[in-house]
Amino acid sequence: MTTDEVAGESSRGRRLGGHVVLGVLSLACVFPIYWLYATSLRAPQDVYSLSVLPWPLSTASYTEAFAKNDVLGMLFNTGVIAVLSALGQLLVALLAAYAFAAWRFPLQRLLYLMFVGTWLVPFQATMLPNYVLLSRLGLLETLAGVIIPTLCSALGVLLLREHLNGFPKELLDAARMDGRSSWSTLWTVVVPALRPALAALGILLAISAWNEYFWPAMVLQRSNAVVQLGLRSFMGTEGNDWGPLMATAGLACLPVFVLYLVLQRHIVNAFVRSGLK
Amino acid sequence: MVSGAFVEVPAPVRSREACAAGMTDTVPASPAPWQRVRRIAPPYLYLLPAVVLLIVWTYQPLAQTFVLSTYSWNLVPSTPMVDVGLGNYERLLSSPELGRSVWRTVIVILGMLPFTLVIPVAVALLTRRVRGRAQGVYRALVFAPMLVAPVAGAAVWQWLLDPSAGAVNRVLGTDVNWLNTAGTAQLSIIVITGWHVVGFAVLVVTAGLAGINPDYAAAAQIDGASRSQVTRWITVPLLSPTLAFLVLMTVLLSAQWTFPLIDTLTQGGPVGSTTNLYYLLWEYGFRSHDAGLAAAAGVLFFLGFIVVAALLTRLAERLSHHDD
Repeated sequence: MTTDEVAGESSRGRRLGGHVVLGVLSLACVFPIYWLYATSLRAPQDVYSLSVLPWPLSTASYTEAFAKNDVLGMLFNTGVIAVLSALGQLLVALLAAYAFAAWRFPLQRLLYLMFVGTWLVPFQATMLPNYVLLSRLGLLETLAGVIIPTLCSALGVLLLREHLNGFPKELLDAARMDGRSSWSTLWTVVVPALRPALAALGILLAISAWNEYFWPAMVLQRSNAVVQLGLRSFMGTEGNDWGPLMATAGLACLPVFVLYLVLQRHIVNAFVRSGLK
Repeated sequence: MVSGAFVEVPAPVRSREACAAGMTDTVPASPAPWQRVRRIAPPYLYLLPAVVLLIVWTYQPLAQTFVLSTYSWNLVPSTPMVDVGLGNYERLLSSPELGRSVWRTVIVILGMLPFTLVIPVAVALLTRRVRGRAQGVYRALVFAPMLVAPVAGAAVWQWLLDPSAGAVNRVLGTDVNWLNTAGTAQLSIIVITGWHVVGFAVLVVTAGLAGINPDYAAAAQIDGASRSQVTRWITVPLLSPTLAFLVLMTVLLSAQWTFPLIDTLTQGGPVGSTTNLYYLLWEYGFRSHDAGLAAAAGVLFFLGFIVVAALLTRLAERLSHHDD
């Protein structure tokens, strides 16, 4: 930072400019979110108010939202999907990444490329056959139909493999000396060391599953079982009932925002605490 | 979040033979076939669930899409599928909708670039001096829209853009029906999508900048290069792999990002002005129940994806030789 000291005045100006730029961008990014919650907290007669602070505060919109839709049921279903989908993806990805990192075997490269290659297969190129397959299996309009096809996350496999490649081989060797099976090594040596990476990836996968729209919209066509679809049909039927609509939208985002606050701290802690990198 | 995976070239597998051999080799090797299976099987067993899922839900459907694209079928299991050869492709390519939707897809991608490339690079370069706690706060704020569920984002923007009561028209003093006018609907979709992803792109560029070795810039400065020269000739070239990644992401994911917004806000309208390729495919399959046509469009989409990804990956590889 010697250039800072030499540059002095102009460096302070640049830093101030940086704060202005980031401040404006932050405001632009956060304002719609703020407006969503502000509108949802206004009293019904104030919904059209342009005042920045919603005052007096009122929970009338939330009461109405709960009365019109089974919001809690939708949130619960979406939560179940997000948690099961994230846990399933973590398990499948962990096993696959372990195979890639701990062994050398014939066809390894081809199998690895199979995972990389999924980036090139756009979802829309496979959606029709997947839909037909789900309908043959009788899984249309079920939560299982939403979860099962997502269980293999190529992103998860690639990320975990990268983490495992940095894993000290001595630990695996030591476990082998102890005469442990590969299965027990995975759970007693690898998983505890990978916990921060697994937690971070799990949160990422859970948030994506929570926010997923396209696939649930296909599988659950006519039902409002998950919050994204309930919100869509609410927009369609009561599009101008802004207070309750914003309340529902606010509730649809709330769990993710809460998780985001935890996630930031969690990741920092995880990296500080983990002895292995 | 999908970072790097496109441009990443899998690292050569390091020697793990010792480890591999040892894993199950606690008993002295014997020629019995069972022992051989026991020694060879573990990695395949660990891979089995992932690979089965991958084949069932990605590769087998992809192959089926190719097959389906030569049939005429309405998605109802009881109706027979009729083999029409390349008829679907002829129908698709002669339909004026296709050309228009491809053009709109290109517009969306070009319209997204300011949000995924121009603004992020400008912001990241201008704010390099901001560090510490303040940086953490900004980071948390600009990333927040990425976490907003697309439908919730659509709901709040529908409210902000409402023609009579919305904040945008009232603040601007205008009377525009943003989402229901052919000219502004596409623009609105682009801006809303841009709002979702701009913070994420800023963080990607900032991370890219942080990864650049400051010695290069310091050396150039000692040689008398001005600040803007350093930015133009050192920083931006070294950043080019990150930029290539952002362009690739924009091209491949724009249609996907806009889908929930189009489906909830405009349904492809008004008069088709927001129907991009992705939405057209969805309409063929799930509105017109024309499985063959939708599959043919899916195949073209896939092939287009491959071509674009190959071109951009090659470009990224060429650019990334800078930092050797």
